[in-house]
Amino acid sequence: MLIDQEIVLNEILGSADLGIRKLVLKGPIAQQAKPGQFVHLQVGSTLDPLLRRPISIAAIDPECQEITLLYKIKGKGTELLSKAGPGQKLNLLGPLGKGFTLPAQGELWLVAGGIGVFPLYALAAAAKKQGLTVRLFWGGENSSLLECSGLAMWEELGLPLYLSTLDGSCGKKGLVTEFLQEFLQAYRQSDPSPAAAGEPVQVAACGPPGMMQAVTADCLQAGVPVEVSLEEHMACGLGACLGCVATLQDRQGRVRRAKVCQDGPVFRGEEVVWNASC
Amino acid sequence: MPPVDFRTPLAGLNLRNPLVTCSGTYGFGEEYQDYCPPEALGAITVKGITPEPRLGNPLPRITETPGGMLNAVGLENPGLGEFLRSYLPRLRKLPTAVIVNISGFAVEDYVQMARALQSDCGLAAIEVNISCPNVKHGGMHFGTDPQSAQEVIAAVKRETDLPVIAKLSPNVTDIVAMARAVEAGGADAVSLINTLLGMSIDIEKRRPFLANIFGGLSGPAIRPVAVRMVWQVAQAVQIPVIGMGGITVWQDAVEFMLAGASAVSIGTGNFVNPRAPLAILAGIEQYCRKNGLASSRDLVGLAQR
Repeated sequence: MLIDQEIVLNEILGSADLGIRKLVLKGPIAQQAKPGQFVHLQVGSTLDPLLRRPISIAAIDPECQEITLLYKIKGKGTELLSKAGPGQKLNLLGPLGKGFTLPAQGELWLVAGGIGVFPLYALAAAAKKQGLTVRLFWGGENSSLLECSGLAMWEELGLPLYLSTLDGSCGKKGLVTEFLQEFLQAYRQSDPSPAAAGEPVQVAACGPPGMMQAVTADCLQAGVPVEVSLEEHMACGLGACLGCVATLQDRQGRVRRAKVCQDGPVFRGEEVVWNASC
Repeated sequence: MPPVDFRTPLAGLNLRNPLVTCSGTYGFGEEYQDYCPPEALGAITVKGITPEPRLGNPLPRITETPGGMLNAVGLENPGLGEFLRSYLPRLRKLPTAVIVNISGFAVEDYVQMARALQSDCGLAAIEVNISCPNVKHGGMHFGTDPQSAQEVIAAVKRETDLPVIAKLSPNVTDIVAMARAVEAGGADAVSLINTLLGMSIDIEKRRPFLANIFGGLSGPAIRPVAVRMVWQVAQAVQIPVIGMGGITVWQDAVEFMLAGASAVSIGTGNFVNPRAPLAILAGIEQYCRKNGLASSRDLVGLAQR
């Protein structure tokens, strides 16, 4: 839908220098939105910046008719967005795109790199509500980044969190993939196999492309299905302009394009051709 | 007061109103169904087709610029065969005029596509893209040399019974010479302008933003260039002009019509507001009423008189 929604809250998350903000919007998009989808926001009322900004939906509350967006100020558009205050209305196109698949049973492991954690929150909340076991593997530069990217929200959710930072200031020192690998290895060596025992594991990842590529490779090796959420610059958000395509490959190695805005942003990890040269 | 008469005769077609969508901005007619359905428009122009399927350019393909954007999609499309098999059956059911945009690298490419696209396909017209700036070989050549432009339009005209619209590039020294050439080649209308060739550099990475390096500039930033060219071409040729280039609101559309455009086409404006064409139509209606004009046709070229 294309609709003006009122800002309930637009505030800084954690320390101001990281420029990460929480935006809560009230309106009927909350009733339709699914984890992994995004909204296409008009950030200003003039022709510069011209294009809408795609922002993933971090939390969905259909009862209160509220969606929460977490975003980092990166340029002119998000800078302008940060100036909008409660009571003001923003024009939204959404919910758009194809979100994450919620498994019917077993465990859902979420793997996040930095602010890639944002869209995973809505998925975690939905999976928890459905009674699934959810674990979050989350890596970032340092403790400040994790704290400013909603760590407190995750702690409130009460899930097992496996945190890692490059400088060791929070959780384990190292990459998020190292943590995940330990769990994948244990999963693979379990006897009887958890999948056969009705406890399969599914992975959902969001973060820098290199991280998602590594997570995909590790999951495939362990026989665990993995979904990844891609990010691209977008113009229309509706599949018309072909500005935001991803390159996909089928089992026979045939390459094709898919629209991140419409066919994604969530894709099966094994389909994605990372660093496509064509 | 009777409703404003929007009927727009153009290149042998009778469009219900003067609002058209630009090729490459409205997909294949289904993407905007929930916001601006095809039946509300005079015509839709679908994404450019080439004889063979194309993956298009690598990413990044788009980047924003002041009041505009650069794109280098590179003619990603399913190819003529797949277009005829999968897209055409759906397109011909749409209750609006459908214009198919075709692109090629040699005259034979255009001829092959024109031969396959006839009035019994259920299409309204062919728009010949002789001006795509985003592919490495050819394409653009037909759009910058009057002789080549005339030849390719004449070749297309020989093969199809559909009206032929020539889409002109602004990346030329003399737009009037190009318009006269395609008119001499038998074009039934001209559409202008395509994007202006540009580029943008990421100063942090010290690399061009677009993988293709160059891209086509569109959006409000190019509108004055487009209005000027529409003005010049409308004076110089007898065939109707479809004006486009940075139209986002009704005032822009009126400006193009006053300059001499018989119809106006919305491109990048669709990305900003998916309902833009509907809002523009409503605005034109009010403008006509306020100024005592019975028909939107009365606006065409009014500023030239």
